[in-house]
Amino acid sequence: MRVLFERVEEGMLAFLLALMTLLTFIQVVLRYLFNTGLLWSLEATTYSFAALVVIGMSYGIRTKSHIAVDMLTKKLPKKIRNAVTLFAVVICLIYTGLMFFGAYDLVSRLFDLGNLARDIAVPKWLLTLTLPIGFLLLAFRFIEAGVQVIKGDSEVLLTGIHEDKEQLLAPQSGNQRDQK
Amino acid sequence: MTAAFLLLVLFVLLLIGVPVAISLGFASITTMLLFGNQSLLSLAQKFFHTMHVYPLLAVPFFILAGAFMTTGGVAKRMIDFANAIVGHYRGGLAMAALLASAFFAAVSGSAPATVVAVGSVMIVGMVNSGYSKSFSAGVICNAGTLGILIPPSLVMVVYGAITESSIGKLFIAGIVPGMVMTIAMMATIMIIAKRQDLPRQPKADFGEVVKSFKEASWGLMLIVIILGGIYAGLFTPTEAAAVSAVYAFFIAVFVYKDIGFKQVPTVLVDAAKITVMLMFIIANAFMFAFVLTTLQIPQMASEFIVGLGLPVWGFLLVLNLMLLAAGNFMEPTSVVLILTPIIFPIAMEMGIDPIHLGVLMVVNMQIGLVTPPVGLNLFVTAGVAKMSLEDTVRASLPWLGVLLIVLMLITYIPWFSLVLPNAIGL
Repeated sequence: MRVLFERVEEGMLAFLLALMTLLTFIQVVLRYLFNTGLLWSLEATTYSFAALVVIGMSYGIRTKSHIAVDMLTKKLPKKIRNAVTLFAVVICLIYTGLMFFGAYDLVSRLFDLGNLARDIAVPKWLLTLTLPIGFLLLAFRFIEAGVQVIKGDSEVLLTGIHEDKEQLLAPQSGNQRDQK
Repeated sequence: MTAAFLLLVLFVLLLIGVPVAISLGFASITTMLLFGNQSLLSLAQKFFHTMHVYPLLAVPFFILAGAFMTTGGVAKRMIDFANAIVGHYRGGLAMAALLASAFFAAVSGSAPATVVAVGSVMIVGMVNSGYSKSFSAGVICNAGTLGILIPPSLVMVVYGAITESSIGKLFIAGIVPGMVMTIAMMATIMIIAKRQDLPRQPKADFGEVVKSFKEASWGLMLIVIILGGIYAGLFTPTEAAAVSAVYAFFIAVFVYKDIGFKQVPTVLVDAAKITVMLMFIIANAFMFAFVLTTLQIPQMASEFIVGLGLPVWGFLLVLNLMLLAAGNFMEPTSVVLILTPIIFPIAMEMGIDPIHLGVLMVVNMQIGLVTPPVGLNLFVTAGVAKMSLEDTVRASLPWLGVLLIVLMLITYIPWFSLVLPNAIGL
């Protein structure tokens, strides 16, 4: 179940990125080769982009790809470091909660207004629904992270700036083929 | 009071290891709730709206293009070509590494990506040909910073989006400073090569040069597509980025055949991961900028600084010191996102050209990339060269002088940044 969810998560991220790239590319091709364009293309692209980012936020916590500064915390003794990290996770949860309420308000306001998006015949609230969902998923990941900290892992938020960075910034997956 | 609260919360959170994005967001929300009159709804809207800022769409596209080029063998062909041109000079491999970094920087918008693309092949190559490991790592680490100066540049996209400056103009403005930086580093290599009597490569005959150029031309074409396309008005920087992503996919899979169809989803997921990481910071930074402007903090800072009566050169010096200090602790996009909303109005008040300011910030960020404790290029180089971080810092340090000299030139002679955009009439 969990593995399935994670596969779907990755699949969606890849799909959304490919979709927005192709939409923008096709728009250029249509303009120069056929002197035409798709009216809905830009809006579809930006909403895909938004969906990619808000769904990806929680994926970033799971794969530890958000940047944090660990200069100070890595020098602390283990116990204090754990406490500090737990505090940091609580801050993250408060942030996520506040943003979730803001997002929820936004969607219900849009729902009441009932407007359609500018160029796509879909209600605006439906397209914005990704935002509260994104923060909900993020909250789950932070609760999970909090549990891990209590169990003694103080590196749940740390990602960012340490040696793994190399992989993060320049995907090297293609090299797997060279190694065979 | 308000400003002090906002900045204090931000710095404390950053220090205790809260992710940069959430530090920015949390500080913004709490400040707004305590001192402002905007609701959570409008903050959430600001967050969501960031993904509708058209120029920022270039971010995922350039990242995707970079991912295909790094895995797809574009860098390797550029290295072969650079080697064929300059390899036979004394210290030729180091020059080739620098030149290849400049080429790759001209198709990719990220500095660490440039280090990985060129460094993973060149450091081993240089060490095998008798260069010291520390010299090799130093060259790669610093040459890699060209990634954010030579267009395209993710840092410029972000600066352009937040200040509403023309990204096309910023890209064109980065060309001459990029060349100045390349030439300065090239001269340094020549001097060191002479002193240490570094080895040469066998001279490539004309046929080999042509052959390597042909191989590399698929990748080099991207420079023409991106800059030519933007300059000629064929497409926006965002469209140029999407076209380069599709083009890079095409050459990686169908021309060079270095990756197969099966690996495409992996490349997509990797690029999506980096996109999300950056955009999460950017979206929160847009909330941060929104809070700043709503509470009129930049105006207050601006009045204060202008009231000090600093001359422009003095202000630029303070600006450099501030940016260098911030660059030591955070990666370039975060620094630009946090400081630009405050610096920009002041600089405009002092009569500094917005494009010149953008280039100047980028060069400062380049230096931040190679200075400890948080220099992204240092971490990446240490990883690629399999050296300890301390050794990498020591290897890279002598180059700091070169970077600082170029920084001074670019700060105090706006001509370097402005000559090309003005000449073209953008």
